[in-house]
Amino acid sequence: MLVLDHVSFDTKENGVTCLLGPSGCGKSTLLNAISGLERLEQGRVEVVSDHGRATTLAPQLGYVFQDPRLLNWKRVEDNLIFALKGMEVPQVEWKERIHKYLGMVGLLEFRKQYPLYLSGGMRQRVGLARGLVIEPEVLLMDEPFSKLDQFTARKLREDTLAICAGLRQTALLVTHDVEEAAYMGDRIVILSARPAHVAEILDNPLPPLERELDDFGFIGFKKRLLQSVLKLMEEEVRAC
Amino acid sequence: MAQQQKTLSVQAQAAAGAVSLGALSGAGGGRAREAAMEIGLRVGSIATLILIWWALGLFFPPTLIPRPWDTFAEVAEIVSTGNFFAEMGATLRRVAVGFAIAMVLSVPLGILMGTLRSLESFFEPPVILGLTMPGLIWAVLMIMFFGLNETSAYAAVAVTIFPMLAISIWQGTKSIDKDLIDMSKAFHARPWSKVVDVILPQLVSHILAAVRYGLGLAWKVVVVVEMFGFSNGVGYQVVRGFNVFSMKTVLAWTITFLVVMIVIEFGIIGWLERMVTQWRPRVEAWRR
Repeated sequence: MLVLDHVSFDTKENGVTCLLGPSGCGKSTLLNAISGLERLEQGRVEVVSDHGRATTLAPQLGYVFQDPRLLNWKRVEDNLIFALKGMEVPQVEWKERIHKYLGMVGLLEFRKQYPLYLSGGMRQRVGLARGLVIEPEVLLMDEPFSKLDQFTARKLREDTLAICAGLRQTALLVTHDVEEAAYMGDRIVILSARPAHVAEILDNPLPPLERELDDFGFIGFKKRLLQSVLKLMEEEVRAC
Repeated sequence: MAQQQKTLSVQAQAAAGAVSLGALSGAGGGRAREAAMEIGLRVGSIATLILIWWALGLFFPPTLIPRPWDTFAEVAEIVSTGNFFAEMGATLRRVAVGFAIAMVLSVPLGILMGTLRSLESFFEPPVILGLTMPGLIWAVLMIMFFGLNETSAYAAVAVTIFPMLAISIWQGTKSIDKDLIDMSKAFHARPWSKVVDVILPQLVSHILAAVRYGLGLAWKVVVVVEMFGFSNGVGYQVVRGFNVFSMKTVLAWTITFLVVMIVIEFGIIGWLERMVTQWRPRVEAWRR
């Protein structure tokens, strides 16, 4: 079955790109293909440097999953070490990096704790720190806020955006939430369903730290996104 | 219909201790009382058993049902004369060696059966067959094959418990969380790290359950093997008691044996279990 059809886009350099599309449109498959968890039948994924030349065909990728997917039998810091070890980061850097990124997500004092003693939001933060600690060229996030309650999700979105902006982290976030896309994305790639193809690419007029949920500029952009998505759905219904 | 005013007034106090705080900071006062209560119940259960034994003794002659205190005196004598440690040591060694052999073989086989469908189909029939085979028959077969020596005892114990261990590890492997395997792939974990950090920790509780059942089976088989004609071990001592028709001796050896088993079960294995599952919050909150 064809899931992805000529999907082609560039992420925003040093910024967050959102893949926005309805559930089941192949967003996660795309992310898995990019990370190598699923094989592409055709096509490739490249990280392109400033000079316009491909640096690697197998870029260093960090992954934040929909649920935390932590090793519950390992302490928080050992979960980060698991990723550092896998990515072959030299051991001398471990301590400093763990300090830096656990501090960033606000969990430094919980580094010796086991995950199951933490709340769902905190566990997701550990997952975020694990994705960041390997200092990836691109951070992939697969609907990382969708299983959290509204308050927790909102706070974590804010923090994630601030962290990514602070690090100038190139990131790719998959979501089906229009508001989330408008809030998190410097660039939004709207995907249509089955087989997924790129319907529209929009750049966010607001810089990351100036997006307020009740600001007119933000609401305007959110509406603009919503219209695109609704139009797309209408077209699909008609095509049926 | 008159509209009813319904209000729910909530007054809650934080009762968080049971799940997380208790596990973080160790025992508080309530914890200690609960533990004392638990010990009390266990002691009470043993005391009840002894009471029933004593009551039965009122209706039968001491040759059939010896008095509890006479039997305990015999236990004291067995332990104080010193041959207890040699006999028990021989039995424990047979169980330990047989158990280790079975463990070393069943862990890899169980993991392979859980991961590869072809191996699962191939090994399922023999493993299930092995499970239904009575330990007594294994004991007979092994003694006939190896002769009356230590090897036959080790082999009998190993073969009897091997299928049980393999089955629980096989089933445990099948229930492993695939999402975590994906996660370990995304972070490029090496194969060794995948086994040690991701797969084995998920099997620990299955392995421990298997160890419990396995030990239970192993004790039963080893005693049978020893009865066949070994010249030491608890099984041999029980047969000796049987030959002179001394119920007291048979019971006394049985009791010492049981006590050692309980120490191993609750002490060593219980401790091991607490060690390897301290990452998991206690679920006592919903148990009453």
